[in-house]
Amino acid sequence: MIKYRNTLLKLTAWLCGGLVVTATFFIFGYILYHGALNITWNFVSDRPRGVPIGAEGGVFPAITGTVYLGALSGLMAGLVGSITAIFLVFYCRNRYVKGIIKASIYFLSGMSSILFGLVGYTILLHMLGMPRSLLAAGITVAVMILPFITIRIIKLFEEDSTELLHASLCLGVSKTYILRKIILPSYYINILTSITLGVAYGIGAAAPVMLTGAVLNAPTPQSVTQPFMSLSYHLFILVSEGISLTNAYASAFLLMAILLVLNAACRGLEYFKKKGD
Amino acid sequence: MKEKTALCLFAAVSFVIPAIFIVILVHVIYQTIPAATGLGMLLFDTSGVWRPLGQTPSFSILPVISATMYVAFLAVAIAAPIGGMAAIFLNYYAGRRLTKLVLAFVDLLAGVPSVIYGFIGLVVVVRNLERIFNMSAGESILAAALVLSVMLLPYIISTYSESIEKAKNKYDTASRALGVSAEYSVLKVIIPITKRGAAAAVISAFGRASSETIAVMMVIGNAPIFPRLLGRGQTISGLTALEIGSAEIGSVHASAIYAANLMLMLTLSVILLITYFLRRKLLSEYDKI
Repeated sequence: MIKYRNTLLKLTAWLCGGLVVTATFFIFGYILYHGALNITWNFVSDRPRGVPIGAEGGVFPAITGTVYLGALSGLMAGLVGSITAIFLVFYCRNRYVKGIIKASIYFLSGMSSILFGLVGYTILLHMLGMPRSLLAAGITVAVMILPFITIRIIKLFEEDSTELLHASLCLGVSKTYILRKIILPSYYINILTSITLGVAYGIGAAAPVMLTGAVLNAPTPQSVTQPFMSLSYHLFILVSEGISLTNAYASAFLLMAILLVLNAACRGLEYFKKKGD
Repeated sequence: MKEKTALCLFAAVSFVIPAIFIVILVHVIYQTIPAATGLGMLLFDTSGVWRPLGQTPSFSILPVISATMYVAFLAVAIAAPIGGMAAIFLNYYAGRRLTKLVLAFVDLLAGVPSVIYGFIGLVVVVRNLERIFNMSAGESILAAALVLSVMLLPYIISTYSESIEKAKNKYDTASRALGVSAEYSVLKVIIPITKRGAAAAVISAFGRASSETIAVMMVIGNAPIFPRLLGRGQTISGLTALEIGSAEIGSVHASAIYAANLMLMLTLSVILLITYFLRRKLLSEYDKI
């Protein structure tokens, strides 16, 4: 009896493990295989063409639009996120203030991505009268990735930097000086990778930008008040409207490639930094 | 002096996040008022008719709420046992090198955007469902649940694997010394003492599942009717993404959409609170170890 039970457990564990491994490799393999078959240089360098738009041509403005969106939201969320983390870990002494800030971060991190799109759409576009633009979408995505980035940086600081701080404080050095000369120089790579991972999460999400600024066809934006193309939104439209399967495969490949490179770069940097320490 | 200025500046910036939180909360509640006063309990009308543009408009958000819960529940029911067993597999049966490789890939899988899951779901899952069940259109609750369950796997595996690792570190030597089999120690030691961690993982996976937008929207068929396993459906997020653009802000239509989102927010908040307290209890338990 016990023997059967053990074999059963072993069998299910192997089966589920195998299933997960297969699913993982299938997802990457499927996109990479079909993408590699369908992608051309013309697709990367041309703008969308054809009827309906996107059926032919390429996605160049979507690539630049995605990069701009990532840079803009990363800048905003990175700045607010790292300052909030510094304040919380090194300066804030009041338990209640700390609690309020942490609770809001936690709450925001658990909300649905479309909620940010919805609130961004109503407040920015309708109440403040902003146009559908890179700026409106950038703010919306920044709000969405803000908790993600802040949580990562707080964890980073809480892990082992208080020791450094205490040693320096004992030597009578001011807090701002320690932050500028010791903490930030030794952590700036981890802060940057935290922000980049947040950006990777942000540019992959189509929900917050579909209402606030992403459009089906636009040139590379010249200013933040113009609408823009986003790769993830473009892929969503190509698939859900059934415009072009070939271009959908190629777009998915590009999006996945950008995100994989960002992810791999971050993890690599963090890994080597850990080794260097 | 410099110290003071920096502190004030940092404190000011740090209140951006609480401010955003309050603005979102107040805004959503405020936007729900027209529907709450104009419709009242008609929002939860059991006839389940969502017809915002008809001659006699009707705004029951009950179908989208039940579809959201149904899909999320189904997805967790599929993903939790598979993910849990896979975590056990990684900790007890796979070699160290394979475990590291799989966990790295699973980590990457968590970074794949939902639009790609939706895309693969549409060309692989939906097509195959059409073939297997002989359906005219494979977009269904089942398709959405299957796609979602794959999206939940990385999360469940990594969180549950962490719990197992902690438990294993504590009890593995003792189990080995007593000479019991790996299976015995999994069934009698690991699974019982990781049950709180497992509960936290499952509950927050449910939260993630119910708030997913794009991937679900691409494979569920988007019809605001009561959910059936092989029928079309629509989730709260899908309804929002598809209809808010054409609804006039401040109208009953937009307000009803906000009401549905408020319900989702409440559900997610409850889930966040439960997982918070579960995790806190877990941490104090591990401190004892």
